[in-house]
Amino acid sequence: MIGCLRRISAVAGNTFLEAVRQKVFAVLLVFALVLIGGANYFTEFSFQEQFKFLKDLGYAAISLTGLLVGLLGAAQLIPGEIERRTILTALCRPLRRWEFVVGKYFGLTTYLALMVVIMALAVWGVLGWKEGQFLRAEGLDSETAATIRAEAMDPRLLQAVLLVGAKLAVVAALAVFFSTIATSTTFVMAMTLLVYLIGHLQSVAREQWLETGEVTRWTVRIFLAGVALLVPDFNLYNLIDEIVAGNVVVWRTTLEVLGYSGVYIGVLLAAAACMFEGRDI
Amino acid sequence: MKPIAAVAGALVLLLAWGGAKIPWEKAMARDQRKATYGFSGPTTVAIREKVGQGLALAALGGFRGLAANALMLQAHGAWEEQQWVRVRSALELATMLQPRVAVFWDTASWHLAWNAAVAAEKYSGESSETKRKIEARRWVEAGRDLLERGTKAVPEKALLFQRLGDLYWQRLGDYQEAARCYREALSKGDAPPYLERFVGYALEKAGDKQGALEYFKDLRREMGDAPSQVRRPEVVEREITRLEKETAEKRVRKIK
Repeated sequence: MIGCLRRISAVAGNTFLEAVRQKVFAVLLVFALVLIGGANYFTEFSFQEQFKFLKDLGYAAISLTGLLVGLLGAAQLIPGEIERRTILTALCRPLRRWEFVVGKYFGLTTYLALMVVIMALAVWGVLGWKEGQFLRAEGLDSETAATIRAEAMDPRLLQAVLLVGAKLAVVAALAVFFSTIATSTTFVMAMTLLVYLIGHLQSVAREQWLETGEVTRWTVRIFLAGVALLVPDFNLYNLIDEIVAGNVVVWRTTLEVLGYSGVYIGVLLAAAACMFEGRDI
Repeated sequence: MKPIAAVAGALVLLLAWGGAKIPWEKAMARDQRKATYGFSGPTTVAIREKVGQGLALAALGGFRGLAANALMLQAHGAWEEQQWVRVRSALELATMLQPRVAVFWDTASWHLAWNAAVAAEKYSGESSETKRKIEARRWVEAGRDLLERGTKAVPEKALLFQRLGDLYWQRLGDYQEAARCYREALSKGDAPPYLERFVGYALEKAGDKQGALEYFKDLRREMGDAPSQVRRPEVVEREITRLEKETAEKRVRKIK
């Protein structure tokens, strides 16, 4: 067991270092930080709206950058190793194929987590900066100042960061799954992106298949069932909008979504390992 | 492992999980929908039909907040150009995409019931005063309609009830209704302290001086012997004295 963990952590560490060395990821991180900082210039609105804009843009920047890093990183994980033939030297060691897949995934998600933390800190920094700007304004009553402080340093934003991270981790697991089937990075990226987009409509497919009874053609029903069964429901992560809007989202709901993400990642990695076991390298 | 066995194994695993996850997803989606929209939130199809393609892609691709913000920016631009129909349509869409953002409803109703209505009444270039007034009233009603919907979408916050009260008071002159909205706002717990006096003022404006007096008396009693200074007990006491004096004078006038 300890040997297994050591092998997984060795692959994960190597994948993490490879990701850190990729210049494109650093550029994406800088792009996201500029976007987050730039959100500070919506100054024509009320302070509540300005904070909402900041948070929305901040979380969108985290999501978008994380999505790109997840896609680009995972797309190269296995097809890249096969193309460079480095996978042969890795797998001729006492390393099981599933350990290789899991190690690769954890290396990538560790890097993703690091990026999410850096960007979340940048969002909090910008919110704090904005808070300072508002609080320095003249003629501010204590009630408004308290509202501004509450808007800027809302502890619920931690829930939003966790949800963004979980969503990205599921996307990365999807990309790892596709990378065990694919021979080209383009295929992995295209498939993951498609599933990501369809995942936001999965709830509609599920409702049409199970609840509305509007669809009667069996071919359409099979298609809808396929989408509902095989694609994750990414709308569950829309709780982030609620948090940004300043509404109460109980921790139980957040933890439920995190649990769902955890189980989904486990299943996707198991399926990816299964596919990779049967793959001819 | 043979490739065919690997594919079959992965597929069985994914389908088994798919069957297990659906009831879980349904339960979570139901809970979230109930918490987010009450019972009838906008469906994805409705959003796709009403929003332009680019925004729909953003909204349905997990960037709903950004799409709603883009619409608010659009509304702001249209407001600067006095394009009131465009303002209204952008605001309607923004509130549809993010119905739980109270500040969107607030801004939207302010644009319609105040800015658009005043523009229609004073700067439209229409020569007939009646037509101008009818048009202005139409905008005020549109603002009220938005706020009514907003109070249903965000029923737990005081802000929109307070704004609805302001609208009834300042734009429609319905002070009884304003008092009702202020009372509703006060029941939410996050209402500003000064609002509790506004119920009394609205009742007085509605012509119910006796009701206003009783309200202020109840309010003062409820404040207790050592009230918080934020609630301004001295103002409430001053109002009680003034209203008592006025109602007494009215009674004397009636007797005479």
